[in-house]
Amino acid sequence: MSVILEIKNLDKHFGGIHVTNHVNIGFKKGEMSAIIGPNGAGKTTFFNLITGFIPSDDGTVVYEGQDITRARPENIVKLGMVRAFQVASVFLEETVYDNIYLASLAHFRKNAKIFINRMAFQDASEHTEFILNKIGLFHCKDLKASELSHGDMKVLDIAIALTLQPKILLLDEPTAGMAPDERIKMMSLLKELHEFFKLTTIFIEHDMDMVFGIAEIIRVLVQGQLIAEGPPDYIRQHETVIEAYLGKEVL
Amino acid sequence: MKKIKDYLPWIVYFVFFLGIIVVDPGTHYIHLVARVIIFSLYAVAFNLLYGTTGLVSFGHALFYGIGAYVTGMLVKATSPELFLLYILLGAAGAAFVSFFIGLLTLRLTGIYFTMLTLAFAQLVWGLTFKLYHFTGGDDGIQAIAKPAILSGGVTKYYLFSFIVVTICIYILWRIRRSPFGTVLNSIRQNPQRITFLGLNVYKNQLKAFVISAFFAGVAGGLYAGLDGSIHPDMLHWPTSGNAILMATIGGMGTFFGPIVGAGIFTGLEEIVGKYTEYWSFYIGLVVLIVVLLFPNGVLGIKRFSGNKNNEEKETEVVCNSGN
Repeated sequence: MSVILEIKNLDKHFGGIHVTNHVNIGFKKGEMSAIIGPNGAGKTTFFNLITGFIPSDDGTVVYEGQDITRARPENIVKLGMVRAFQVASVFLEETVYDNIYLASLAHFRKNAKIFINRMAFQDASEHTEFILNKIGLFHCKDLKASELSHGDMKVLDIAIALTLQPKILLLDEPTAGMAPDERIKMMSLLKELHEFFKLTTIFIEHDMDMVFGIAEIIRVLVQGQLIAEGPPDYIRQHETVIEAYLGKEVL
Repeated sequence: MKKIKDYLPWIVYFVFFLGIIVVDPGTHYIHLVARVIIFSLYAVAFNLLYGTTGLVSFGHALFYGIGAYVTGMLVKATSPELFLLYILLGAAGAAFVSFFIGLLTLRLTGIYFTMLTLAFAQLVWGLTFKLYHFTGGDDGIQAIAKPAILSGGVTKYYLFSFIVVTICIYILWRIRRSPFGTVLNSIRQNPQRITFLGLNVYKNQLKAFVISAFFAGVAGGLYAGLDGSIHPDMLHWPTSGNAILMATIGGMGTFFGPIVGAGIFTGLEEIVGKYTEYWSFYIGLVVLIVVLLFPNGVLGIKRFSGNKNNEEKETEVVCNSGN
């Protein structure tokens, strides 16, 4: 498998805190990988850096052979690297359908059309229905996003990201704040979507059942440093990781 | 069914503004409704930024004023025959200036954006006093002639304003319903998500800013012809505030709300102004009542009660996504 996203020597300080400490990672195409680590380890910052949301101090990010270190976040999205958020980031006043429809308009580059009725784009409406069906939100398409349960809102956030048909999907704690049965559902949904859309999925997660259940590669960040990476079995027995994060009683 | 509901406000719009000519309540009232319709355009244009994009500009008097001054000065310098062209040039001037002001102010968000737009507008307001040769200082410009076909009775000029305003409001309505309008409305709700849909928030806001300024400029130009005179007050901050008040009273979350707001605002000024010079006190009272009791404005009342029903039913619906 070839490397789709290469992080070289990525570095970031917030004041005196070294949040990202010379991180080197090569994400392989089609891989489902997890990033774990204690709170404040710099996991979300890592996502913010590689998506161009905040500028890095040093290092490069190379996506499909293209240097995107200084690229604007919206241009990185257009290249095919899309994210979902720790706190679901949706349009609360709109219906589920309209949330996905807007993303479809963006996907088909119809967002700047200024005189045509927004509902008149057949490619966008077909794509919207396809996504809604695929992700299992079709039967609640007419609900306002603000009326959804926490778990469904997270699913909607991921659905918005998927509507853009990304090559790389970044998920920041997809099961955060979910009930155990919702977590299991989310886990199987992500696995299914990963395979169906042939994604490269990178997710940050604290739920170890999910991490060890679906990730092919696990990377451990502690205090901004990548301290270990490898398949689940390797990470499970990695002494530094057990000491720094997993703890002995968990496994 | 949905089609009729979509067009109902338009029907009311035409019935009211054309009906007034049929009823013909006399010069004074036609002049009053002419002001309402011009302010309507000003408020609707402003609301593209305010209610839709979520940007509170406190400097829209600048664009309204540029429209008025450019139109007035061109009529004075040449002849009034090309009045409509001058209005468009005034609007283009407003759009041109707004592009550069937007470029700077939109780098900021929230109250900082609001304050900077205010600062620019006040700056130009101050300049109108200094540039006496062009602007007539605090005298403004008087006796702006209308073209021959529009002079003689206010009804002709009212009809002219009605046609221009209706075309402009229709264009703004189409914009609001387009994908671009949806993007603007979504920027207000969640700019971060817009960025991560691959769209540039700043560019879209700038487009909205320029479009809004253009149509505010048209309104200013029309007003110059209505009274035949313009004065620096049109550029002063209360004119900017009026746009906020009209949109808020009428309902900033609705497209037609600002038109209702313009009607209420102008009507109150007229009625209360007959009895007391402190009419703005009563406007303040109305705004207070609206904000406290109907936070979504007069046209938003129905939607407000609708939401309430939903809350009573169930706040959270589980739709078991993902199967």
